[in-house]
Amino acid sequence: MTKQISIGCGSAWSDDRLDWAQELADSGLVSYMGFDCLAERTMALAQIRRRDDESCGQDQRIPELMERFASYLSSGGKIVGNFGAANPSAALDDVLRGLRTTGVSGVRIGAIYGDDVLDHVRDQNLELPEMGVSVLDLGEKLVSANAYIGAEPIVELLEQGAQFILGGRIADPSLFVGPIAYELGWAVDDWEKMAAATLVAHLLECGTHGTGGNYVDPPYRVLDDIAHLGFPIAHVSDDESLITKLPGTGGAIDTGVVKTQLAYEIHDPCAYLTPDSTSNFSNVWVEEVGPNQVRIGGATGQPRPDDLKVLVGVDEGWKVVTEISYGGSGCVSRAQLAAEVVAKRLEPYNPVISEIRYDLHGVSALFDHQLPRDEPAEVRLRIAALCQDREVANAVSFESQYLWMGPAGGGGVVTQIAPAVGVTPAFLPRDDVKVWTEVVDT
Amino acid sequence: MKLREIAYSRSGDKGDISNICVFAYEDIHWETICSEVTVDRVRDTFGDLVKGDIVRYELPGTKGLNFVMTQALAGGVSRSLRADPHGKSYQSLILDMEIPSSV
Repeated sequence: MTKQISIGCGSAWSDDRLDWAQELADSGLVSYMGFDCLAERTMALAQIRRRDDESCGQDQRIPELMERFASYLSSGGKIVGNFGAANPSAALDDVLRGLRTTGVSGVRIGAIYGDDVLDHVRDQNLELPEMGVSVLDLGEKLVSANAYIGAEPIVELLEQGAQFILGGRIADPSLFVGPIAYELGWAVDDWEKMAAATLVAHLLECGTHGTGGNYVDPPYRVLDDIAHLGFPIAHVSDDESLITKLPGTGGAIDTGVVKTQLAYEIHDPCAYLTPDSTSNFSNVWVEEVGPNQVRIGGATGQPRPDDLKVLVGVDEGWKVVTEISYGGSGCVSRAQLAAEVVAKRLEPYNPVISEIRYDLHGVSALFDHQLPRDEPAEVRLRIAALCQDREVANAVSFESQYLWMGPAGGGGVVTQIAPAVGVTPAFLPRDDVKVWTEVVDT
Repeated sequence: MKLREIAYSRSGDKGDISNICVFAYEDIHWETICSEVTVDRVRDTFGDLVKGDIVRYELPGTKGLNFVMTQALAGGVSRSLRADPHGKSYQSLILDMEIPSSV
């Protein structure tokens, strides 16, 4: 019999909803689910949480996940996710606690470590090409450095019988490439197969974006029931890769949706770089074979990159954002005057404000003045600043909020101050990143 | 007419790089899109929003273009002070481009 794997996506980011993922798990249609929990800045923010409290920095949804997926795990379903974020061992503890709480036993857990390369990056004083400096130039501002880990340790853990696999910065597609390679017996150095697996993984990893979440644009692009999107599913064998979604859910798997996900964040389609392969998607074909069923193929592969990408987190201090609305005739002029007044009042702070900008929602906040339009009925002034010191951020917030007192007719002030963490890429030889695994039985 | 009449798009981000793909609704419009949506036109459309290079890649298998724009996100999602630090809305800006209505 031809081997086949049915794998679904359960998460595309750190705060993704778990209720729809549970619907997919409980449907019985998939035997594997991959959970991507990390956007670029998520890891750096998680490292800050860990710096403040050594027991934190892992995905914060694990207790809820274990409750919702108890039934799926009991029936033998497998889960692979980068739930570890900045703290894989704390994530492992949370998973063990969750299993105890829900009374699920007999689950072998695999944990993947080694993506945290902060010490190594510091020792090597690695170059940061986009910033034009080296790591040591950052001094105290260096927050984190995590290497993107590929599918190999996932395959190894599956071979050892792991049912629940977690790690830190496992690359998004690798969460799916690992199970596909293991189930179909595809070698991790068979570059054609790795490219085929990476193509499927790429179409799954963005969750409900991949079923139309970011596609709809009426009246040109309309999909049914986008209030209740389904997570995507892939059925993969040696012969065929089919993308579909949970029946009864909204959104769509059609050629339009699949194509936009295909090109999403791949840069050069002839050389999509991941830890597992150098994939060529330029001649990928997409064929609708039924309602919400798309067949895909045509990816070709070259050897995986020798270097692993490392994302370095940089402490940028505090980001403060304040908004206030103006409406009716003359609203743009009053909002512009308000910005000038705040700028004048903040003059004493200019030397200690790293960066500040004033934008008008409704006029130029998204695209500067690239789309000139007539005067809108209302505008919202947005004042945003980066400050090294919290006190300075407080002052920017205070002066922005003081617009309550004029110019006339400004209302609906909202202000927010949050830690600002930048991320910048670096590269390490693959052999410099020592990955290790741990198996725990329950 | 607007590019939006014949094409759809999606934008993504990696660091300070914005990645915008453009696909034809109908295969017959693919050549028009290739000839009209040039790097120069995209640079005009984005103006100072993009400080670095713009490279255009083609996906002939799916009748799509992929634009990779560096220094396009005011330093990248986490430090950018822009209202849309991901550049998610860039997919709409590119579709606002005017193209000849004869197609």
